[in-house]
Amino acid sequence: MSASQLLIPLHVQYIKSLGENKDDLVYHLTAHLRMNAVYWGLTALCAMGHKDALDRDEMIEYVMSCWDEEAGGFGAHPDHDPHLLPTLSAIQILTIHDSQDKLNIPKVTKFILSLQQPSGVFAGDQWGEIDTRFLYSAVNALSLIGQLHLLDVEKTVGYIKKCKNFDGGFGAVAGAESHAAQVWVCTAALAILDRLDVIDQDTLAWWLAERQLPNGGFNGRPQKLEDVCYSYWVLSSLSILRKLSWIDSEKLIPFVLSAQDTENGGIADRPGDLADVFHTVFGIVGLSLLGYPGLVDIDPVYCMPADLVASKGLRKDWEALPRRNS
Amino acid sequence: MFTTSLFPQSSPSKVNEYLSDDLSLTFGLLREHPKVYWIWNHRRWCLENIPDGPSEEDIDGWRNATWKKELFVVEKMLEADARNFHAWNYRRYILATMTSPPPPKSELAYTTRKIESNFSNFSAWHQRSKVLLTLWESGELDRAKSIEEDFELVRNAMYTDPDDQSVWIYHAWLIGEGNDVPRLQFEITSIQELLDEQPDSKWCMESLVRYKRLLVTKHAATVGNEAVRSLVDGCLELLEKLRAIDPPRRRRYEEIAEGIKSSR
Repeated sequence: MSASQLLIPLHVQYIKSLGENKDDLVYHLTAHLRMNAVYWGLTALCAMGHKDALDRDEMIEYVMSCWDEEAGGFGAHPDHDPHLLPTLSAIQILTIHDSQDKLNIPKVTKFILSLQQPSGVFAGDQWGEIDTRFLYSAVNALSLIGQLHLLDVEKTVGYIKKCKNFDGGFGAVAGAESHAAQVWVCTAALAILDRLDVIDQDTLAWWLAERQLPNGGFNGRPQKLEDVCYSYWVLSSLSILRKLSWIDSEKLIPFVLSAQDTENGGIADRPGDLADVFHTVFGIVGLSLLGYPGLVDIDPVYCMPADLVASKGLRKDWEALPRRNS
Repeated sequence: MFTTSLFPQSSPSKVNEYLSDDLSLTFGLLREHPKVYWIWNHRRWCLENIPDGPSEEDIDGWRNATWKKELFVVEKMLEADARNFHAWNYRRYILATMTSPPPPKSELAYTTRKIESNFSNFSAWHQRSKVLLTLWESGELDRAKSIEEDFELVRNAMYTDPDDQSVWIYHAWLIGEGNDVPRLQFEITSIQELLDEQPDSKWCMESLVRYKRLLVTKHAATVGNEAVRSLVDGCLELLEKLRAIDPPRRRRYEEIAEGIKSSR
């Protein structure tokens, strides 16, 4: 098959196959990311217009089997300790499947808020690793369940400000170098909190536009290699800043398509490497933001179907490229 | 396992020994897997659990020795991969939590060494920006004087590889809001000289547009009407060239040009 277009049926098949090979070693090695992987697979399917390719009830049952009643959070897999990353993924999955009624909202809210540190950043779990990714997870999750009013916004924004660097970008912790993925989590968190004024928008959009390399792909930091997932981090951030036109989508699209596995489906970090669900979803939602034909609109702030986010009254002022007909 | 079964039954010196052994063991793992979050986190956890000792007179002795060793470890890791952000984050963590850290000026010297061995090391430029901010704030360095010195460092880097964006992004930070007119004029002249030698240098043109615009938008009264006109024409000409040599980002150049025209 040719990689000159997005192989939607093949990718749908690939995602369906991921849950089926439970004897596979990789399945067990990735248990710590299972809930995230389910969310990535579901979001990719939503973007391709095949939300129902994975069984809804089975998925909800799986999500609820990872709920830790005592702690009030979700683990990445049954009997794993609860953590903010799988908790956000679980809330996103339940929201996409219109099943928030399964959630114990006061309890999960308490769990999320308990992880905020005096500095304003969030720890991922009780062990205390901090990262702006966790801060974003908390903000996104609280917003989806309608509990954002319980968050200390000034304190949260205060930490993001501390992560701002001389290039306009943001790092994983205060003092850390700017990185496209961390730029996205900080930009999206600020968008949810209606605090994009914190960003030096011209400088940041300039830095983001300079992530595109001559082969069309994007890197995550200056003088580094391209990787499909960075296209999403950069595109979603530019989309929130309404500057998607500052990069060349005509060069990026063929790069993402060339990283497809044309035999077994899925998208890899770059052409010739092994496909995985992480690069598959971020490749596809990146293409969606560029108006790639046949895809469903994805909200770059929440990384969820745009219609759904809008229906909850949560849409922010981002801008994607218009959907093309062919 | 350490906390629940081993530690409560062990003497402080035993605990220190366990943790030191563990740090040595995970150093081997780290060399093989330098980008695995949990290995780095585990090292932090070990450090935070080093007990007081070896004696009451020297309660920070074990800690000092271990922290120093960790600084050495992280330097080794940055020799192997100068851009590993885990290693840089860990380095900042070590320096921030040491009981007797080396003076900040020695960290500035470290970034100078890293930058001089490879001008493209954006991580080192980044670290430098953080260290300088600390030194300026504490008054250990005179801001104006140290900016002066950094312009020299950057100039060497620019001439070595004018295509390296690390250097130019840092240069833009040194210029900042552009309140210093003679500095802006000096840099414009100097970048123009480099552009004359390297007529297709995107980053020379990008920076010239940036600094000329600062003169126009912030210092029109100081430079005078005639100079403003010539700066504006210069910017538009450069933006036209940038559009041609850097087509992926042409919309950005067009938007800047439109902004300049509409405020003319």
